[in-house]
Amino acid sequence: MAKGKKESLIMTSGEAVGTLAAQSIGEPSTQMMLRAFHSAGISSVITTRGLPRVIELIDARKRPRNPGMIIRIEKKISKDYEKVREIWRKLEDVKLSALMSGYDENLRSGVMTVHLDPERLSSYEITGRTIAAKLGKREDITTEQDEKDIVVKIKKKEGVKSTRTVFVNVLNSSIIGIPGINKAVVQQDEDGTFYITTSGSNIGEAMKIDGIEKEDIYSNDPFEVLKNYGVEAARNTIANELISTIKEEGLTVSYRHIGLVADAMTLTGEIKSAGRHGIAGEKASVLARAAYEETVKHFINAGVFGETDRLSGVAENILIGKQIGVGTGRIRLGVRKEDIKKLK
Amino acid sequence: MHAESIEYIKFTTISPEQIKKMSVARLIVPDTYNDEGYPIDSGLIDQRLGVIDPGLRCKTCGGRIKTCPGHFGHIELVRPVIHPEFAKTIYSLLQSTCHSCHRILATQKEAAEVKEKVAEIVSSDELDTATVLSTIEEEVGKGKIKKPKSVKKCPHCGAQQRKIKLERPTFFYIDSNKMKADEIRDWLSKISDDDLKLLGMDPSATRPEWFVITVLLVPPVNVRPSITLESGERSEDDLTHKLVDIMRINQRLEQDIDAGAPQIIIDDLWELLQYQVTTYFNNETPGIPVARHRSTRPLKTLAQRLKGKEGRLRYNLSGKRVNFSARTVISPDASLTINQVGVPQKIAEVLTIPLYVTKWNIDEAKRYLERKEYPMVLNVITKEGMRKRVTEVNREELLKLVEPGYVLERQLVNGDVGLMNRQPTLHKLSIMAHTIKVIPGRTLRIHVSACNPYNADFDGDEMNLHVPQSLEAQAEARYLMQPRDLILSPRDGEPIMALQEDELIGIFLLTREGATFTKREACSLLAGVGVTDLPKQASKGKYSGKAIFSMILPKDFSFDGKLGGEKISIEKGELAEGTITVKLVGEGNGALLIKLFEQYGSEFVNTFILNLSKLAVAVSAMMGVTVSVKDYYNADQVNKELTAIIDGTRKKADELLKKYKEKKLDQLPGYTRKETFEIEVMAELESARTLAANVLRKYVGPENNTQLMAMVKARGNILNFVQTSMLLGQQAVRGRRPQRGYRGRVLPYFTRRDNTPEAKGFITSSFFTGLKPVEFFMHAMGSRDSAMSKSLVIAQSGYLQRRLINAMQDFYVGEDLSVRDAAGALVQTIYGGDGIDPSKEKLSE
Repeated sequence: MAKGKKESLIMTSGEAVGTLAAQSIGEPSTQMMLRAFHSAGISSVITTRGLPRVIELIDARKRPRNPGMIIRIEKKISKDYEKVREIWRKLEDVKLSALMSGYDENLRSGVMTVHLDPERLSSYEITGRTIAAKLGKREDITTEQDEKDIVVKIKKKEGVKSTRTVFVNVLNSSIIGIPGINKAVVQQDEDGTFYITTSGSNIGEAMKIDGIEKEDIYSNDPFEVLKNYGVEAARNTIANELISTIKEEGLTVSYRHIGLVADAMTLTGEIKSAGRHGIAGEKASVLARAAYEETVKHFINAGVFGETDRLSGVAENILIGKQIGVGTGRIRLGVRKEDIKKLK
Repeated sequence: MHAESIEYIKFTTISPEQIKKMSVARLIVPDTYNDEGYPIDSGLIDQRLGVIDPGLRCKTCGGRIKTCPGHFGHIELVRPVIHPEFAKTIYSLLQSTCHSCHRILATQKEAAEVKEKVAEIVSSDELDTATVLSTIEEEVGKGKIKKPKSVKKCPHCGAQQRKIKLERPTFFYIDSNKMKADEIRDWLSKISDDDLKLLGMDPSATRPEWFVITVLLVPPVNVRPSITLESGERSEDDLTHKLVDIMRINQRLEQDIDAGAPQIIIDDLWELLQYQVTTYFNNETPGIPVARHRSTRPLKTLAQRLKGKEGRLRYNLSGKRVNFSARTVISPDASLTINQVGVPQKIAEVLTIPLYVTKWNIDEAKRYLERKEYPMVLNVITKEGMRKRVTEVNREELLKLVEPGYVLERQLVNGDVGLMNRQPTLHKLSIMAHTIKVIPGRTLRIHVSACNPYNADFDGDEMNLHVPQSLEAQAEARYLMQPRDLILSPRDGEPIMALQEDELIGIFLLTREGATFTKREACSLLAGVGVTDLPKQASKGKYSGKAIFSMILPKDFSFDGKLGGEKISIEKGELAEGTITVKLVGEGNGALLIKLFEQYGSEFVNTFILNLSKLAVAVSAMMGVTVSVKDYYNADQVNKELTAIIDGTRKKADELLKKYKEKKLDQLPGYTRKETFEIEVMAELESARTLAANVLRKYVGPENNTQLMAMVKARGNILNFVQTSMLLGQQAVRGRRPQRGYRGRVLPYFTRRDNTPEAKGFITSSFFTGLKPVEFFMHAMGSRDSAMSKSLVIAQSGYLQRRLINAMQDFYVGEDLSVRDAAGALVQTIYGGDGIDPSKEKLSE
């Protein structure tokens, strides 16, 4: 028991906290908005909000609709705008097509001339040479740089169609930045420290950049966090994202409920969804699974593998008409023999 | 009570031998009744399979309808068929075993390794099959265990493996030659038990050859009762129809085989038999046509009976119809407490509560039984469990019989406990226990403050009343489920039963700065809440509202707080400074209520809310709170600023449009230029409403009752006011300006490619001035959109909740405050990190 708190505030033993948590999240969700975008807010990074976001988190979707990161900068340079900008430049994924003003292609001869846009080049502080060098790493083309243009020649000619595919790939190849990060914005705290928010998440790559606080990259994608920081961090990500989404709607739900959901989802060391492919679908009880979804499948598999239902959960006991094992159902009332005697 | 003895349920498949052992009759006649309307022997309604007609006796057990549980029969199929639901399992078995020696496609060494691995997994703490399987799958993924189906050559006999194909639902091919069901059965029966264990199966429960059906189990007639129509015609159950089909084909197949018909014809019939059996098990099997009734309605076969929301599991087993319940319209009743429910006399006369006769209360029980009017005994349950209705005729007789051990069912009386429920039952507060008060009338009555947790109003809402029967259930209801003990919501620890609507207006008017009342008024207000003293006079003959309010506060109560910039201070039961608002006594953030709860407990807060609401409503009534058209006439200054806002917004939108057309607009990431423009112009146009709201806040005070309503959060908000008296503002369809409609324009009134605010749903009229026709249509579009999305949110959030509950319903707090699931596995070491009850988390100490 926690110290300093009166015993009267402590949770009653046996309380069905799972159901309590589920209801506490489910009940207000009716009042949440459906619109994912709504008031996108100018220039800042777009995030999914409202009910779709809650569902996305609880479903444990592998690819959230709008992933994003908040990147903190190492203390010694975090107030130096120039240095932060330098880091920022390494983040945003800039494709060749974003640096050019246009291109000419000759599909038959397999030659494409990309006209670079000097204005954009300078804004990203990159030269034509570095671009050419970067493109030169590709194995299917040779590149030549000449002043403002880059001439791309295809190595193996296999018809117009494949040539075109290669050219499109070249135009879409990233020149600078980390793949997956569509947009990065430098922002400033009240105390003057700079940090970077991104749309798109890739912790693994971002950690490789010098000057970034490697231990303190926040991502709203639990799977990213799981991969890079471990399951405890992923659990916190789920909980934090849920609570902030709910709060944004002007609704209040105790952190205890949210924390329990997050714990239930990450119990096994990986992220499991609350639905039929996750926790509910992997219960030990055949009857509980069958009563939830995919009834026939669960019965058939139970037969094939000779499964045994120990009847320990709530759903299966309701099904067979027995008292459930949570709440007051955990408690048995007994009368001492001598007390009965007293009555008589 | 007998169910208590079920310890576990083991699932297996049934062998043909077992089916024959279970069966009481081999069925051979593919028909039901003969011409005389008598069940045909060895037909599908064979009388040995049980009885469904009243008065008849079962030929197997001799029981009647209520006592005969029904008995299984069987059909012997002349040719085996694949059980469609097991087709996938058969497929993987065929792939994993050798076609010539039928051994698993793994060497002894590999098998031993796998065995070891499986044993290791099985002997570890988790025992359920799902975990074992997923762990094995993982090992396969890592390449530690080779997938048998990828093995090319049998390690035992060296036979080259052939490609097996499954064509859904039940057709198997080996190297593109069709496999017959009997071949498959042969193959499967030759797989050894040891190999099956390696494949994760339990050979003591299931042999794979049983997946190919040779003997079909026929369920008893109770499972598929026929109904007699009014016309006297019998209508058979879907399952019976399907079984008739199966037997017909089976019979024809047998005849053709005996007559030595060509193989093609036999194969055709065999395939037809397969189809009939497949649809018998699951009529929604993908890849085959649905079997239909004569009326073209699809047949409901076995899988359909179990599946889904209307299936056996969810409709009849997880949820059940109950007795001892009532349902009717609800209405408000201010004379009740929050804990009470008004139950109409008519309902109270029908619902009963058991009175357990003991040697201590036998006299009282007998007196009850003697009664011939309202609170009287309706039924007597004897020691043997026979329920007898009490009538004038048998009352005397029963009186003599009654002795300890009998149960009398008496009508509801005041003070009994009932559970009120309003659907949708979204949280535990949707079912609460109320003390019953029997009243005249036809509706159930509840106190308005109890509406919130139920989310009820009185525009025709109906609620259910359940009367708990057992003493345990009644005690549980009384101690754990009464509204007075549930004032603080377990969701966030804030009060869920609190002041609302005109109560909030009343309390504001009472306690606002400078509010005074005459002696007569003060007396009438205080007498209403049972206070017989008068507070100190503020000036001669005048009593301040604050002082009147203070009379219902405990004398030793002090409270200091700052809420939204407003100071509030209560000293020794006197409201010294500040006005009572939602933030203090409202739902979801009642700081004052929480403080009172802390110091004086739930019982006090319960009466406090009751008194406060009475007092507040009396003030509202006394002062007269009403809205009228005059609330919506704008002052000249307001109109002036409104015009300025509209002009300003138009101008800004024009500028954006110009910038967009000149391609000078900075693109938002991930959006096209057009989308960027739309997003920005939308934000700009939507802000007009907020600007207008600021104007209203500036110029209109609480003397305007509409404004007052919004200010004290009684009903409506400032935006509703703005839309009524100033402008409707920008309409939105799917979060954007209306776009679709006619080519290049939303409504035909506009010219094509008109991108001005008005052409895209910007409405400058108000509800008060009325809308122009185009505005009306724009508004209708917005309304339709929000109506649509609202219904979608409800569906989505309902499913979300179902999933959450299913995932977590087994969790409970143990004695050591840890959270555990059904198997006892640890979810949290201490609930919430500190073991605090969330409904009490806002309380200090």
